[in-house]
Amino acid sequence: MRFIPLRRNTLVLGATLLILAIFAWAGWANWEYRRQQAERLLANAGQGELVPAADAGTPQYVSPLEGKAAPAFALVDLSGKKVSLADYKGKAVMINFWATWCGPCRIETPWIVELRQKYAAQGFEVLGIDTEGDDLKPDDKTGWAKATAAANKFATEEKIPYPVLLDGDSISRDYGGLDNLPTSLFVDRKGLVAAAQVGLTSEQDIESKIRKALGE
Amino acid sequence: MKNQVWIAIAMLSLGALATHGQSAQKRPLVKADSVTFLFPEQVTVSAGKPSQVELRFRVAPGLHINSHTPMDEFLIPTVFSIPEGSGARLESATYPAGIVIALPVDPTTKLSVYTGEFIIEARIVATAGNHRVQGQLHYQACDNNECLPPKTLNVTMDVIGK
Repeated sequence: MRFIPLRRNTLVLGATLLILAIFAWAGWANWEYRRQQAERLLANAGQGELVPAADAGTPQYVSPLEGKAAPAFALVDLSGKKVSLADYKGKAVMINFWATWCGPCRIETPWIVELRQKYAAQGFEVLGIDTEGDDLKPDDKTGWAKATAAANKFATEEKIPYPVLLDGDSISRDYGGLDNLPTSLFVDRKGLVAAAQVGLTSEQDIESKIRKALGE
Repeated sequence: MKNQVWIAIAMLSLGALATHGQSAQKRPLVKADSVTFLFPEQVTVSAGKPSQVELRFRVAPGLHINSHTPMDEFLIPTVFSIPEGSGARLESATYPAGIVIALPVDPTTKLSVYTGEFIIEARIVATAGNHRVQGQLHYQACDNNECLPPKTLNVTMDVIGK
């Protein structure tokens, strides 16, 4: 009879210690996971590997550039004319990074063409930036000519009505690496990044981001 | 009172496990390489004669790379090569047929791709002696929503010509 309270206390103490141990283990496992994840991301930062979403839903990308001024750039378009982001001050701009070898980019291009037509009157423009020359050296004239020809053909086939700029990789660092394509940034009329998108989503998703950039 | 204590303990335990389980469920899969060269690390061939070597590669889960004969002219084919000066040369390479897939968002567009493991049958000619051959696999990987820039994977193997 005298041992019963003692045994009960021991059980409670044991259970409490078990709980604490579980919490400690969960905390350690979480910390260890975050540490490994940080190391992997750091190791892969220069390689730009895909990070598929663990769930089936569309991963929502949050750019560190959101809310900040879109980095300035000036690139040459398909006709050889220099085009800068500053030329579009006061307009909402979708900066769409793509490449001809990118299948998802090809799928979303007709959507973008359609949305550009729909919102152009409200002060919306698209700048399509080709990142074709990712592995080309600056002095590789043949390679650049081939890349430009491919971009030109792509733009013609897709009937792209907006400026297509070349050598997107020269500004990739300012725009967060651009390792995965397509990548788009939606810049508002004040020049601030209102939204971003990495990977193929949907026409509706792109439209909602355009409207956000337009301030609707 | 006794029951309440046990219920509280059980709930706290479940809470702790659920918290950890949730973070594990959201864990993204970060891949070091889209394509990995599996083997062989070493092959012995008849010196001066073309010899068939099966090169086995693996595409990371969730990704695909274009086959050697993609269905669109803009897509980058998978190509194996051996640069000159390696002590061995590639006479020819036979590539597996690609698997035909379509992206969920656009079922009409067909793609010829490699997923999982695939084998390239390379016919290699090596001179007599031991050679550290550094072949190259040029490929371009995507998943259903995104693409990565084209890459070149080093395919290193010791070729012994006898």
